[in-house]
Amino acid sequence: MRDDSMQAARFGAFDPVLAAILANRLDAIVREMSNTLLRAARSAVINSGRDFSCAICTADNRLLATAEGLPVHIFGSHLQTKAMCELHPDLAEGDCFLHNDVYLGNTHLADHMFLAPVFVDGEHLFTACTKAHQADIGNSIPTTYHPGARDVYEEGSLVFPCVRVQRDYRTIEDIVRMCRARIRVPEQWHGDFLAGIGSVRIGERRLRELAAKHGVATLKSFVEAWFDYSEARMVQAIRKLPKARLVNTGRHDPLPPILPDGIPLKVEIAIDPEAAAIELDLRDNIDCVDCGLNESEACTINNVLTGVFNCLDPDVPHNAGSFRRLKLRLRENAVVGIPRFPHSCSVATTNVGDRLVNATQAAFAQLGEGWGLAEGGSSMGVGYAVVSGRDRRQGGRLFINQLVVSSNGGPAGPVADGWVTYGLPVVAGAMYRDSIELDEIKHPILFREFRLLPGSGGAGRWRGAPAAHYVYGPLHDPMTVVILGDGMVNPPKGVLGGEDGARAVFYRLASDGTRTALGNGTRLELRPGEWVGGSDNGGGGYGNPLSRPPERVLHDVNERWETANRASAVYGVVLRRASDGAYALDLAATERARRAAEPR
Amino acid sequence: MGFRITVDTGGTFTDVVAADANGRMTLAKSLTTPERIFHGMGEALTLAARQLSLTLPELLAATDLFIYGTTRATNAIVTGKVGRTALLLTAGFPDILVLKEGGKFHAHDFSQDFPEPYIRRSDTFEIVERIDAEGTVRVPLDEGQALDVLEAVARRGFEAVAVCFLWATANPAHEARLGALIEQRLPGVSYTLSHRLLPVVREYRRASAAAIDASLKPLMQAHLREMAEDLQSQGYSGELLVATGLGGCQHVPELIERPIHAVGSGPAMAPVAGAAYAAAEDRGEDVIVCDTGGTTFDVSLVRAGTPNHTRETWLGGQWTGHLVAMSSVDVRSVGAGGGSIAWVDPGGLLRVGPQSAGARPGPACYALGGTEPTVTDAALVLKYLDPEFFLGGRMRLDRAAARRAVEQVARPLGRGVEAAAFAILTLASELMIKAIQEITVAQGFDPREAVLVAGGGAAGLNIVPIARELGCARVILPRTAAALSACGMQFSHIVAEETASLVTLSDRFDFSGVNAALDRIEATLQGFLGRLGRATPTHRLELFAEARYQAQVWELDVPLPGRRFRDAGDVAALHQAFDRVHERTFAMVDPGSRLECINWKGRLTASLPTAPWLTLPLAASPTPGPVARRPAYFGADAPVSSEVHRGDGLAPGASLRGPAIIEEATTTIVLPPGARATLSASGNYVIEVGA
Repeated sequence: MRDDSMQAARFGAFDPVLAAILANRLDAIVREMSNTLLRAARSAVINSGRDFSCAICTADNRLLATAEGLPVHIFGSHLQTKAMCELHPDLAEGDCFLHNDVYLGNTHLADHMFLAPVFVDGEHLFTACTKAHQADIGNSIPTTYHPGARDVYEEGSLVFPCVRVQRDYRTIEDIVRMCRARIRVPEQWHGDFLAGIGSVRIGERRLRELAAKHGVATLKSFVEAWFDYSEARMVQAIRKLPKARLVNTGRHDPLPPILPDGIPLKVEIAIDPEAAAIELDLRDNIDCVDCGLNESEACTINNVLTGVFNCLDPDVPHNAGSFRRLKLRLRENAVVGIPRFPHSCSVATTNVGDRLVNATQAAFAQLGEGWGLAEGGSSMGVGYAVVSGRDRRQGGRLFINQLVVSSNGGPAGPVADGWVTYGLPVVAGAMYRDSIELDEIKHPILFREFRLLPGSGGAGRWRGAPAAHYVYGPLHDPMTVVILGDGMVNPPKGVLGGEDGARAVFYRLASDGTRTALGNGTRLELRPGEWVGGSDNGGGGYGNPLSRPPERVLHDVNERWETANRASAVYGVVLRRASDGAYALDLAATERARRAAEPR
Repeated sequence: MGFRITVDTGGTFTDVVAADANGRMTLAKSLTTPERIFHGMGEALTLAARQLSLTLPELLAATDLFIYGTTRATNAIVTGKVGRTALLLTAGFPDILVLKEGGKFHAHDFSQDFPEPYIRRSDTFEIVERIDAEGTVRVPLDEGQALDVLEAVARRGFEAVAVCFLWATANPAHEARLGALIEQRLPGVSYTLSHRLLPVVREYRRASAAAIDASLKPLMQAHLREMAEDLQSQGYSGELLVATGLGGCQHVPELIERPIHAVGSGPAMAPVAGAAYAAAEDRGEDVIVCDTGGTTFDVSLVRAGTPNHTRETWLGGQWTGHLVAMSSVDVRSVGAGGGSIAWVDPGGLLRVGPQSAGARPGPACYALGGTEPTVTDAALVLKYLDPEFFLGGRMRLDRAAARRAVEQVARPLGRGVEAAAFAILTLASELMIKAIQEITVAQGFDPREAVLVAGGGAAGLNIVPIARELGCARVILPRTAAALSACGMQFSHIVAEETASLVTLSDRFDFSGVNAALDRIEATLQGFLGRLGRATPTHRLELFAEARYQAQVWELDVPLPGRRFRDAGDVAALHQAFDRVHERTFAMVDPGSRLECINWKGRLTASLPTAPWLTLPLAASPTPGPVARRPAYFGADAPVSSEVHRGDGLAPGASLRGPAIIEEATTTIVLPPGARATLSASGNYVIEVGA
């Protein structure tokens, strides 16, 4: 084994076996917090979409444990616990805070973060954090994503700048009344509110049990040892990378009329294996825009770090210890960076956030074969629309929810094809998708189609995952559908010779069958008999398609991931149709075709 | 009453337990012979017969109940060696099995290809039809198109067909018609209709269950018929039952009709055994049951005498494998066992698993080519195992090889070999503790209120520290621990379930619809009972609602407070019962919220004749006192001199204090200092774990 001296330095005097046990326990606590929220929450976006994350921070606001949280939610949690400590010098056992303020470290207003300080023997040791995307937050329009909002005032959401919602474990009902008065479908919100508090309270109870068992002093020295260990793993991971300066760009689609040119993005990365550090510079980006697409500081951090961690050994822990080796350079009033009040960050968690993950992970592919990833599908399209209206099956009650149906093709990487149920770059497959039948109970809608599209994943040595196509419409009464968009003009890019993934498409289908194309950022009213349809993105390919093993191409065609035409035109693979309808490989003809196709 | 024989054919070994009318048990073991199960099983049966001074035909002739448990169905699914199956889905929705129901572990890991669906996309066909959530036909079934598809299915030589249409639970007409067309056009081809097998909401669950069930039919029908014939040809004329994932058993014709019930039947029997052992020792009705094998650690929970059930059993990994979706005993499996490999990661942290040395090459001490340190090697280094008495002396272990292997992690950890071995065992225990917590604490159950029953060959090595960490005061370790599932079958009954889907809200409750659904469930189960061919067997019929607060997505099982719903009071009682279950599970309750009932379920348990308590033969002339002393390690720097006892020499009532080691023919029990074990009259070790 290498580096014995270093290992001693890493753990110091702390028992490495106990460290392994305590790390395992923290992980179990975060999982139990997640399980509590997942099963008890009400809104589809939480309990079937799993659009939530739990974490534990130290009392001095360092991220300690995250388990299986969504990448987009979690890395910046320490900004929020910091706000809690600074705003509430009277912090006490039994407190719980609701925090959704993007100017105090939250991701976007639709994510309600619950924070419970964990006290042991009167000392604040940890903060239990649970963040969940709400179905509604009282915006001026019926969606939690408001791309058109010029500022937070037009966005219209209730803002909770880390507001106490429990004191002595008793709920402050004033806050509940405020929310009930201002949030659509208040009982759904209230169920999620109870579930969020239940989740941080479970975390609190378990952390106190852990402290009782092992002692506060042991836990404190464990925390330092664990950060040191995590940093050491990060050092090793970065030392494997070549020294390089990488510059990559991306662009969010135009969103007429607010953003006729879309939003350009630039990521500059300096990898220094000797110093075992990576610098991420986002300062050379445009100023904040007068709409809801600005990145919050938390989302900027989360998404650029996600892009980095996607390209490193996934076994490296993601916490304040490994973060020590990453240096972020952000600019105030930049569209990705630190927003300037009162700009809106309504859609900070997706769209530009997705583009930021993509631009960062694809930058690493500039290091050559074996590094980085292609770009992943990032369409917030028909399969992620917010639907609302009245449900006559329930006496005309109001409903509003985000559909979590889209699959968006995942990016190809250096050793595997794209993941089919990828979702978005900011969630990378970690979210659940809705069941069609459950969606049809929950909302008065009817799906007509949901299928994966052969030939839509970016071709490459490794293939991007395919796009999916959806059609649905209202069941009985008119329904509002709000679609954010992206991925229509600028598709997910392939890398190292890999093709781009398929572009997204949105359309409206009139009752007479007439099809009208829709653009990004659409709000439409559908009557029964009318449908909205479209497809999301395929993932980008990785490497030259002509180097894809022909057996994989054959399998792709026989299993309808790819088309026979593309097999020959793009992959240079010659297939023959056998009598049973399946294809067989003509290896000799394939080799000839591929030699002919190679550029000289 | 004659013998009752139970058989558990695992992937490697076949366990046989024969119990006579007095409950005296005879255990035998043989290697499983997958090509013809009866060969290996016959060998174990012959061994058992010999112990009873009988021939195999004599034993079978004296047997009146034979229960067969098999991993055949589970293995066939995991390895994909099932019948060639076509999947028929509603037109427009061909990717239900590809898309599954969400989720992926390790969001930052892009090193895995997406898993192939259970039925290939090229074997999936779309049928033009559509029914909506209220059961209204939106697109009529296009019979001409369906017949074209069936013709293609016939042409391509499929052996089985699974049909799953959207909302077939609300209106089964289209699925039923397809069933009739399949019988007409594809005579002899097995098929499964989703609404008949599993009428629950959620298309992926129904489609997955239907696909698995149909794909197993050709194989399991042949297998079970062959088994019945083989037994008959050896002279057996008694009753033959097959173990199911519900932790009960059913007759061969029922299993042939719904072979999916055979999935997971072996592991499902462990909690049945656990409940019986806990009852025999009068240690309460809440039991945590652990089964430690060579590569996996299975854990299940028994509450109030009944094993927990779940619809979320995945084969081949949660989210990436295939969902069985049938209600079955909730058994969680983690990759930790005697063969789990220890390693030191690049940051200097000791890790155990998930890699396993398996049975081949096995731990380094097996001297079969393995060189990496495993949990078994650690136990040998700690002197918990006697190299000369492993598996009752049938296998000799190489202690020097074990030390060399453990040395590989001791060096980078900067520790002695014994200390490293102790760390390996501690971390392996940690993985098991986490698995137990996920099935207890994470579901609102306090492990301190339960007794722990431990089985499996490797259980005794670390069960005491595990129990201490969980706060369980007592562990029951049966002398028959190594054959926990086969023993469980000795206590099992005939169990059948029936489900109906009917979505209704508590404030606009569909009284007639729900009562009619319950009538149907009861009638079906009564029919099942009638077909058992027993004179008025003792039976129990329980009814459940699968319900949730409105707009939640995950249902909880709630036992119905009454048989039927007459008025609002009955609905309120159900609401309260749900609140209690919700509070118990999630530590939170919202009585003001409306209740949404999704599915209704009946479970019939028909009792088999009960045997007296079962025991292994105890020593005729007990040999008091230890057979040896060994210096064993329990975490301190120096070893502690520990008594070594032979289980077959102990008399009932014998009480042993740790540090001590009890060696049984198939398992070893380690008592650290502070623990104390008593051999009960029923032949179980009851361990007070101490602190």
